[in-house]
Amino acid sequence: MIVIFHVKNMHCGNCAMVLEGLEDELPGITKIAASYHKQQLEVEFDESQLNLDKIIQAARQKGYDLVLSE
Amino acid sequence: MITIISAFITGLTAGGLSCLAVQGGLLASSIASQVEQNIKRGVKGKASLTHPLLLFLFAKLVIHTILGFLLGWLGTILQLTPLSRAILQFAIGIFMIGNALRMLNIHPIFRYFVFEPPAFIRRYIRKRSKNSDQLVTPLVLGAMTVLIPCGITQSMMTLAVAIANPLSGAALMFAFILGTSPVFFLVAYFTTQLGAKLEKGFSTFVAILLIILGLFSIYTGSNLIALPSLSGSASSVSINDLPVNPFTRAEPVQNGATITINVENHGYRPNHLQAPANQMITLNLITQNTISCSQAFVIPALNQQILLPDTGTKVMQIPPQDSGTILRFSCSMGMYTGDITFN
Repeated sequence: MIVIFHVKNMHCGNCAMVLEGLEDELPGITKIAASYHKQQLEVEFDESQLNLDKIIQAARQKGYDLVLSE
Repeated sequence: MITIISAFITGLTAGGLSCLAVQGGLLASSIASQVEQNIKRGVKGKASLTHPLLLFLFAKLVIHTILGFLLGWLGTILQLTPLSRAILQFAIGIFMIGNALRMLNIHPIFRYFVFEPPAFIRRYIRKRSKNSDQLVTPLVLGAMTVLIPCGITQSMMTLAVAIANPLSGAALMFAFILGTSPVFFLVAYFTTQLGAKLEKGFSTFVAILLIILGLFSIYTGSNLIALPSLSGSASSVSINDLPVNPFTRAEPVQNGATITINVENHGYRPNHLQAPANQMITLNLITQNTISCSQAFVIPALNQQILLPDTGTKVMQIPPQDSGTILRFSCSMGMYTGDITFN
């Protein structure tokens, strides 16, 4: 499954690196890409191992609020 | 020298916090794993933290000095004319102001004033930071900061190109990164929480400082734009008529007027001169232990530029100018200025 989140509080390029660190913490993420310019996070993950709530919770622990893009 | 001191001060103030915001994650990663390893090995106290921190900062300093050298060398190849330098100064100024407006969250468009490294570079840096190697990891991560320059560092990099001298470029970047180091060291040494509070408190200050620096860059760039001749007659010199020779050494003209400018570290003396119109003018430029950007003397309207030695006299020939003409001159960075009025 591929989802795109709007990230409310990215304030520099380092934020993109921090968010992409979710790949190392959450099993089931196959691909992840964050963009400070676009203020978004794209995640491809295995639905059998991970769900949207876990991703949002993990990002919140890092200090970022994710909103699912339509 | 003034430019290098300014770079150091910029690093000490605006650059330190700006770079910390972008590269702080690398620094934290570099330190965290090392501290953990040191504790397991029984290394206690300040040594567990300062060792990887100093390695990180050392690597960052070395790699950026090398980068400054390469950028300064690139500037010599590009052979910037005064107009090109002016455009570069404008670009630097706009870039700095754009970054400041980004920091103030004025509009989303200003996010694009920061270079975002490609995803594969971010991934490699992230993976590398997980490595627990005692010596190599902080050194490698420190060196990798060159791949994720903050907005102000990018501005300094363009300035290094504009300087058009490898050693000066290296000195500029060395001074700037050295200036950023105390902030990195202090913030990391105490707590990252303290760093977050500092960043929040000083972000507006940093942005305002960036705007001032940006406006100054635009101002110095404007000094490098040739002013049109006030008389506008056929005897005015065309830019295409004159050679651009960095080491002009013409013989003094016997029947022309001679004017002299002392080229000093902080500018030109005198910086407002009078000269007779409608005759060839010999301009003597005298330096004495002068080590400054003022040595790169430019007359934009004539598209003439000359690089002066630390000590000595160089001669420039100014073609006849109509009465009422005001020729502006400046250093190659547009910081030190003056003019010659023809009557």
